[in-house]
Amino acid sequence: MAYLTQLDYVKYICSCGQLKPITSLYFCRHCLKIRCGFCICHEVDSHYCANCLENMPSSEARLKKNRCSSCFDCPSCFHTLSTRATLAQPRQPVDPAGGDTKVENKQPKKMYYLSCFNCRWTSRDVGIPDQPVASGGWPERANPFATRINQLLDYYKAIALQEKQEKLERERKKFSIRGKYITLTDKTGLTGAMARNIAGLPSNEAGSSSAIANFVASQASEEVEQLPDDIYTKEVNLKQITSMPQRLASPEWQPASVARLHPVAKLLSVKRSQRCRACDHNLTKPEYNPGSIKFKIELLAYYHVPEVKIISHEPVKPGEKTALLVKLTNPTGHEMQLRLLQPEDIPPVEDREEPRSIEKSLERSLNLEKDASACRAIERPPSYAASSVVATPVGALTLAQRDDAAEYDDDTQHDADHIILWRKSNKLALRLEVTTDASAADGAPASTAFAIEYSYRNTVPPSSTAAHHRDHTLYTTVLLDLGKVHA
Amino acid sequence: MELQDTYYNKSEYVETASGNKVSRQTVLCGSQNIVLHGKVIVQSDAIIRGDLANVKTGRFCIISKGSVIRPPFKKFSKGVAFFPLQMGDHVFVGENTVVNAAVVGSYVYIGKNVVIGRRCVLKDCCMIEDNSVLPAETVVPSFARYSGSPARLVTALPEAMPDLMTEFTKSYYQHFLPTTVN
Repeated sequence: MAYLTQLDYVKYICSCGQLKPITSLYFCRHCLKIRCGFCICHEVDSHYCANCLENMPSSEARLKKNRCSSCFDCPSCFHTLSTRATLAQPRQPVDPAGGDTKVENKQPKKMYYLSCFNCRWTSRDVGIPDQPVASGGWPERANPFATRINQLLDYYKAIALQEKQEKLERERKKFSIRGKYITLTDKTGLTGAMARNIAGLPSNEAGSSSAIANFVASQASEEVEQLPDDIYTKEVNLKQITSMPQRLASPEWQPASVARLHPVAKLLSVKRSQRCRACDHNLTKPEYNPGSIKFKIELLAYYHVPEVKIISHEPVKPGEKTALLVKLTNPTGHEMQLRLLQPEDIPPVEDREEPRSIEKSLERSLNLEKDASACRAIERPPSYAASSVVATPVGALTLAQRDDAAEYDDDTQHDADHIILWRKSNKLALRLEVTTDASAADGAPASTAFAIEYSYRNTVPPSSTAAHHRDHTLYTTVLLDLGKVHA
Repeated sequence: MELQDTYYNKSEYVETASGNKVSRQTVLCGSQNIVLHGKVIVQSDAIIRGDLANVKTGRFCIISKGSVIRPPFKKFSKGVAFFPLQMGDHVFVGENTVVNAAVVGSYVYIGKNVVIGRRCVLKDCCMIEDNSVLPAETVVPSFARYSGSPARLVTALPEAMPDLMTEFTKSYYQHFLPTTVN
């Protein structure tokens, strides 16, 4: 949580070179690599309304223009509108004969209107009549440009169809030319269009182009309506004029005066799932129910990569050694072997590339593998300037597995070790020493980096064909922010 | 950054068998209607209005200094009725914050100087930033981070929010220590 309220003191280097706190990183356990929001695919899982938490299938959401049908936003302050009930006396029908009206008619009726609890705007302000039902039934305004939009839509659909057909045609031609046997139509120069003509079929160009032919492109006109004569003399009442965000909230009408503001249907929110671009496996998949906070798949770095936290450090001074206390946590359910390294000591990727699985190589040879060139994340060397060097302990550290029951026994082990300060279930505190450059300027940001080599046990159930490695040695680089240099 | 220890005066706080730590300098009205579910910290000058309706909190909630927990009311044609206020587990309420919500889910972080209006519903795993005002009857969905006045969605929260909040409230509780008199 401290991650959300504090600055990011500890950043990890993603496999694409981005620097991110551990909370915004993912860990693909099929590629065994850290991924971040920039190098994964984000997919829309489901649409829901943030106010009424109603789920909506994506087809329906598209039909409703990604807006909720029962919730509205205030057109004035954009807060959610609430429905309020009033008792309304129904109007007495005036009897022309002067006879007495019935008593039942005087029964008050519940009527509903929309009201904003933030700015006190109500649907009565703009003359929307009260509704007899609590939800829904609010008058929908017709889009003044509906016919034109439909025309444009038809036109572009027709064009898309035509282009698709042309492409198909081209592909067919290419194929037929490349073919071993020359077909009769090719030999005689009889084209597909001519064949269709002879057969009495309508030519495909004519079929698709009715929408295209009937389409009238919009014309820019030089004649613009004149400004009213009193535009410079009339006093402006700013309370009656809408602000720019208010106008743009309903782009079809863009009301200029406050009296024409109408409730805006609430935009839907989405639940997202994430997917690794390299192997197409899901990294996160939320449960369908909008109220649920559970995940079906949740491959976060926070659950797989050792977590580094700064406990405290001395002020950083140029040319001097600074004590630094860090806490390491093993979030996995297996014991972890750790070793601290200098970032440049990480062996290059090729040395530890595991043999490709048979499945994968078969896929490649059959060209089944997805062409990833279009969506490949550009890997770039991370740009950071560490002003200080951490003296890394040589020995390996062992971190016990995560144990939820461990919080009930409070015995903190104080190791006699001069490096390990204390050890408690899956956590340990390390005492490190940081040496800062003598040339570091006063007030310059102080940072240091170190790499962690850690053992990782893969719990993916082994597939029948692939040679399966259960235990891996993985590397990650961590950048620590140590405030400023104090000369 | 790891949380630093915060020390309290041992004579000021009452610790119950279930691990609740409640300051004596608080106003707990209608204490028979207040249920703190264990390991809850209520700091000095906090006000919990149990006299209006039931107030229930889950485990590991932190109610900071000067905050007000007050069940919401609703106006009906025949007077006013108060509704119980429910709070889930691992909820943090910042300093000088007024909470009038109907439901506060689990793993919720409410910053300092925040006003949560009447009958708001805060779903699990959401965050209200410091100095925000949430108007009455607002629904804050899960994994949303709200800010401003009126508070609006600013960004989404990480998927590990339940664990982050659990870690935060637990370590807050562990670092909330009595001053040792030597």
